[in-house]
Amino acid sequence: MNGNWIIILISLIPIFTSMKMVFKKNFKKNIKNSLFLSISVIFGIYILLYGVHNIGSEKAGLGLWMYLFALCVMIWEMLSSWSEIDTSLNSKLNFIINLVVPILFGISLLFLWQVLTVGLKIPHILLPSPLKIGIAFSNSIPMLWEDFQQTFLKAVLSGYFMGCFSGFIIAIMVDRIPFLQKGLLPLGNLISALPIIGIAPIMVMWFGFDWQSKAAVVVIMTFFPMLVNTITGLSVTGQIEKDLLHSYAANYWQNLILLRIPVSLPFVFNALKINSTLALIGAIVAEFFGTPIVGMGFRISAEIGRLNVDIVWATILVAAVSGSMFYALITICERSLTSWHPSIREN
Amino acid sequence: MKKILSIVLFGLVSSMAYSADKLTLQLQWVTQAQFAGYYVALDKGYYNDENLNVTIKPGAPDISPPQVLAGGGADVMLNWMPSALAAREKGVPVVNIAQPFKSSGLMLTCWKDTGIRNPADFRGKTIGVWFFGNEYPFLSWMSQEGIPTNGGANGVKVLRQGFNVDPLIQRQADCISTMTYNEYHQVLDAGISENELVTFKYEDQGVATLEDGIYVLENRLKDPSFKDKMVRFVRASMKGWKYAERNPDEAAEIVLDNDATGAQTEKHQKRMMGEIAKLTAGSNGALDPKDYERTVSTLLAGGSDPVISKKPTGAWTHEITDLALK
Repeated sequence: MNGNWIIILISLIPIFTSMKMVFKKNFKKNIKNSLFLSISVIFGIYILLYGVHNIGSEKAGLGLWMYLFALCVMIWEMLSSWSEIDTSLNSKLNFIINLVVPILFGISLLFLWQVLTVGLKIPHILLPSPLKIGIAFSNSIPMLWEDFQQTFLKAVLSGYFMGCFSGFIIAIMVDRIPFLQKGLLPLGNLISALPIIGIAPIMVMWFGFDWQSKAAVVVIMTFFPMLVNTITGLSVTGQIEKDLLHSYAANYWQNLILLRIPVSLPFVFNALKINSTLALIGAIVAEFFGTPIVGMGFRISAEIGRLNVDIVWATILVAAVSGSMFYALITICERSLTSWHPSIREN
Repeated sequence: MKKILSIVLFGLVSSMAYSADKLTLQLQWVTQAQFAGYYVALDKGYYNDENLNVTIKPGAPDISPPQVLAGGGADVMLNWMPSALAAREKGVPVVNIAQPFKSSGLMLTCWKDTGIRNPADFRGKTIGVWFFGNEYPFLSWMSQEGIPTNGGANGVKVLRQGFNVDPLIQRQADCISTMTYNEYHQVLDAGISENELVTFKYEDQGVATLEDGIYVLENRLKDPSFKDKMVRFVRASMKGWKYAERNPDEAAEIVLDNDATGAQTEKHQKRMMGEIAKLTAGSNGALDPKDYERTVSTLLAGGSDPVISKKPTGAWTHEITDLALK
């Protein structure tokens, strides 16, 4: 009985906070008030999670949904309060706020997901709750790590580097040899339009079941964007710079290495970023068509067949995180190598 | 006058069709003689006689019948018992209402020149295994033999085999999973002679599990009208199966007529029907509890890679077949 009184008291905290917000005339959007809102939201979240996990075998009642609705309005207020804090004079604060708002938003979405799946008694095989996914993830870390090594480190990275490198080299050849320019680009277009689902089984037959066939699929997928972007990049050197190097009596290769390749870097990085997503998709889908029993694509298809939907989500989580990290890494390289480009200087 | 009469007749006939009970059956693979009984019942009017309007949905490589059933895409499904029991444990309460297939057609087909003569020789070899619910009998067997499935010199290297026989032909695997009625013949059709191969039938190894059975969701059986529909469905389907067993060539023709993809060939389907008839012989549709117990104990004996972790309860029922086969 005592425990229940504590629960009721804690659940009243957000209610009092919201009343204060509504009735106070001038609720400023500063850090103190935002923190105040955040802490009361946390109490509300705790109460709702406690409530939704203790309702037994029926769906949640109306009271819980009304509390959830009110809490969502409060979360909205909290997020807008954080994001409207005036940070124009303090760049460190700006950096902190830019981290805090997405984190709080992400946590609120996860919380909403948890309450809805548990409260509405959504069947586990349709949509598992984040808690179940987290538990499946932490229980399967060795298996997921092996899958990550097989798919990402072996297939994606090797295919990515081979594909991008060959695209780059062929683009330079195209630049040098006129008939390739007219002949190769349409063919490259055709090859890139081939569906992965058609290429993957053929690659498995050519290169075997292991990661080599997946790398081959990734090469085919990443070759063309790299080719097109490099060719475009090589063509955008300004006339003034070309004239300057001409006046220095630079030969073709000096011209290429000192002027045209650095100028084409923004385009090359564009292709590298596109290819990072394509590579991951290609490797995972290619694994649906023949694989030894390890790898992210294998894990997804095998576990969905066994109705272990939480492990499928855990693998999706690994794929999403690794894809984002890969993209971020390329963006960091881009920032450091092409800091002279107007698109980067603006920010 | 004739026009009005024909319109009235048409209306009456179509209203009769509307009054027939609708039912959707989810097959576990593409249209082929493996499901001849149901197509025969459809074409020969056995379902119509029972006042049923049955839609047969073919399966595909990545369609899992328990999922379709759970998602409401079908009323009744075909599935292998290990997959159904695993689904039951995962929270999809499927229950076996009939078992037309008495014996298992699953076997491993190996190249003779790999030197494999008995299961102990599998160690250090590469074996292709189907997934999506078909891996359970194999995992169970390897566990009973004490052979680890994660590669190495002492275990087997498992490849996720697509639904074809390429890994064997391309020498990417030493053995592959085949059905006696389908993939084995595809291997022979590829030009490999029988004496270049060595086969291990799961039935002979004592690790066979029950295959194509008819399953529905448990909670639907509580509805008397649904139960009645199922009784009629099983009765008509078993009639179709027995007709197909006695007339395999005609059954193969019926399957070909119903194959929307046009991918099946007459020779292949007639051969398949001949083999399927061997598997359905001996069953009148009622599940033999002894076969069920044997399947469950095979699955539970798979110690390290358990397909199911505990004995299932209420996974099958005779209440439909008792009424259907009276």
